[in-house]
Amino acid sequence: MENMKRFVWLILLLTASAGAFAQAGRAGAKPMHTVAKGVYEPFFRTAATLPVPVAAFRLDEYAVTNAEFIEFVKQNPAWRRSRVNRLFADKNYLLHWATDTTLAPANAPLLQAPVVSVSWFAAQAYAKWQGKRLPTVAEWELAGNGTPRHIRFHSLTDYILDWYKRPNPKVLPPVRSTYVNQYGLYDMHGLIWEWTFDFNSFVGSTDSRGNTTDEVQAFCAAGAVNVKDKTDYAGFMRYGYRGSLKGNFCIQNLGFRCAKSI
Amino acid sequence: MRLPTDFSRARTGLLATALSASVLLFSCQEAGKDKAADTTAVDLNAPLTGTVTAELTDAPLVPKPLTYNTPKKVMVELEVIEKVMKISDDTEYTFWTFGGKVPGKFIRVRVGDLVDFTLKNAPDSKVVHNIDLHAVNGPGGGAEATNVAPGQSANFQFRVLQPGLFVYHCATGPVGMHIANGMYGLILVEPAEGLPKVDREFYLMQGDFYTKGKFEAQGLQPFDEEKAIKEQADYVLFNGRVRSTTGKNALQANVGENVRLFVGNGGPNLVSSFHAIGEIFDKVYMEGGSAVNHNVQTTLIPAGGSSVVEMSLQVPGVLNLVDHSIYRAFNKGAIAQIKVSGAENPAVFKRSK
Amino acid sequence: MKQLPLLAAAFLLLAGCNPSPEETGKAAPGPSVAAAPAQPVSGLSSESVYQLPDTFQTQNRQPFLLPELAGKPTVLAMVFTNCGYACPRLTDDMKAIETKLAASAGQVNYALVSFDVARDTAEQLKRYATEKNLGNNWVLLHGSDEAVRTLSVLLNVPYEKTEDGNFSHANKIIVLDQNGVPRFHQEGLGTNPEATISQINALLR
Repeated sequence: MENMKRFVWLILLLTASAGAFAQAGRAGAKPMHTVAKGVYEPFFRTAATLPVPVAAFRLDEYAVTNAEFIEFVKQNPAWRRSRVNRLFADKNYLLHWATDTTLAPANAPLLQAPVVSVSWFAAQAYAKWQGKRLPTVAEWELAGNGTPRHIRFHSLTDYILDWYKRPNPKVLPPVRSTYVNQYGLYDMHGLIWEWTFDFNSFVGSTDSRGNTTDEVQAFCAAGAVNVKDKTDYAGFMRYGYRGSLKGNFCIQNLGFRCAKSI
Repeated sequence: MRLPTDFSRARTGLLATALSASVLLFSCQEAGKDKAADTTAVDLNAPLTGTVTAELTDAPLVPKPLTYNTPKKVMVELEVIEKVMKISDDTEYTFWTFGGKVPGKFIRVRVGDLVDFTLKNAPDSKVVHNIDLHAVNGPGGGAEATNVAPGQSANFQFRVLQPGLFVYHCATGPVGMHIANGMYGLILVEPAEGLPKVDREFYLMQGDFYTKGKFEAQGLQPFDEEKAIKEQADYVLFNGRVRSTTGKNALQANVGENVRLFVGNGGPNLVSSFHAIGEIFDKVYMEGGSAVNHNVQTTLIPAGGSSVVEMSLQVPGVLNLVDHSIYRAFNKGAIAQIKVSGAENPAVFKRSK
Repeated sequence: MKQLPLLAAAFLLLAGCNPSPEETGKAAPGPSVAAAPAQPVSGLSSESVYQLPDTFQTQNRQPFLLPELAGKPTVLAMVFTNCGYACPRLTDDMKAIETKLAASAGQVNYALVSFDVARDTAEQLKRYATEKNLGNNWVLLHGSDEAVRTLSVLLNVPYEKTEDGNFSHANKIIVLDQNGVPRFHQEGLGTNPEATISQINALLR
């Protein structure tokens, strides 16, 4: 019993000191930008769905890179590829890495590319380690809807669809290689897909054509689910993608960036 | 006397009408009975007699006719692959495929089989896919059970209750785009007694395509959703490519042979007026179902539907298979060919000197 | 006292995420506390959802770790007590399962976890338990936003908070084995519980 008490104290101490590190670590931290408060219009909606106000928040300027994630697994060995629990990351976890903590020399350019093949649990753990969190769907969509600054497209949807229409590149380009939007955020579209905190908030049939089962029985939602804008093909794809995910999935075009409340 | 005669004629007429009406009713009831019989003919409690892995083929090939005649568990695995391929000689397109080609792999099963279906999505896919097989009695035709993220797979089982030639396709939103990119194929459910033997079987599937550039504009052409919504196709193709099945790629057959074509129409938009120039379809399994029509010149194939047509070949030469909405054939690519070899048959056709 | 080994296991877990001595040369940028344990908790199957390290609170205001459910099969649903339609029925469906398992009373846990982090306090959960006449083998859990979301991810129960403060959610009753591994789920409302019952009975054998 005495031992147990001592053990608990040790843990508390460790946790407290780690908290201190967190403060120190944030000095050279990667840039974040403020996304002003706004309104999120859910893509799938029922008659009862209302627009969701989103409070201002901070979001990483670019996605977490391989280099950054290497640092994370070095400091958190439990999240190394060879040791991670399958419940929290499937067999494709960090599949593109040469070892537990390195990329193959030939893959050096990937150091500055977004880390992909990471699970939601791993992304959550990373964010927590940084003293941050994953953005919610509402936050991510609000940020993602930001107007591009320099490059001109017919429309943002056109730009996104153009990305969907191209196969994945052989080598994933580095972060900040696509476009920057009004908030100063890079690559919100056109580079990778990104995890969100509540990615599993899509309630309804995954069959996009609507009710083939009794929705009210299987889901507690007010009747038929409709789509905000049937021509928003890009929206369809994003929501469909999220709807297909499970927390331990590791996919080679799915990464993440972190958020923070203000 | 005239009146009674007229009256009796009228009565006969009435009787005839009544008779034909009752025949009609009777045949309707028969059809109704048949329908009920089809879905209940399969004894769901009977044990399956083994497990086989389905032979899957790319068009124009068709898996061999099935040799077993008791229900089996049939393993089917399809992988969704997104890839750039030629849509014409100098034009490329990012196709989304079931198995690497357009149309998707041909699946052949027998009524009563239990299909164990696994859908994989290739790890380097960009988007999510699923599958709706029209041969399925169940939610979304399997779509709800198979929403698969890249690098993942999903499995479901279904019992094949009704014979016919069925389309399968991707039903992930936006469904139109997935189909327009080539995500369709055919699954044949043979009736219990099998299909009558023929000399050759082929697989053709029509689809319409929408590109930013016009027909055969060079380079990699992206999908054009505006044109798709307006149903203004740039390409109407058999087997996913201009000249996929013409010239040196034409289907081969001989005079005197019986040829069966399994023809599907993936759409997404256009209905096909399927026609063989210089032949008459001896038999048409209308809309891929059980009713057989004879001596047909042109048969309609709905988008998301199919037809099985059979022809006996009497005369050598090149048979052009077209969508007889004829601009599609000559301006948008909707031509396939059968090269019929053999001796001339002047008794059937002779050119005057 | 019974809970101590479990607590210890949870702490060990946290400790496991701390940098090992040879890797602490560089300044750590943050607390080495992972949101979820990356490695199996000793004694639990690697597929056990009881590896979720968060502490919940029961309807009796007691702190509660999921491994406390281990040792018996558990029937679990995620609900919120303000739910006007589905959740009371989901709870009734669980009670129906309990009734059918009367012969095995005391050998099965029944757990409700609330989506409604803001409103479903221990007091509210207690009220709900009383109202629905839920016995001693029922535990109603309140947790942090993150803990509830993580559990929903592990159990594949999608849910969304709507702007009116309510929740859209999947209706699922989940059967967990003695180790906290999900073995079966009953989908929908008023579903015939026969399959669920036989799953639980199989676990009890």
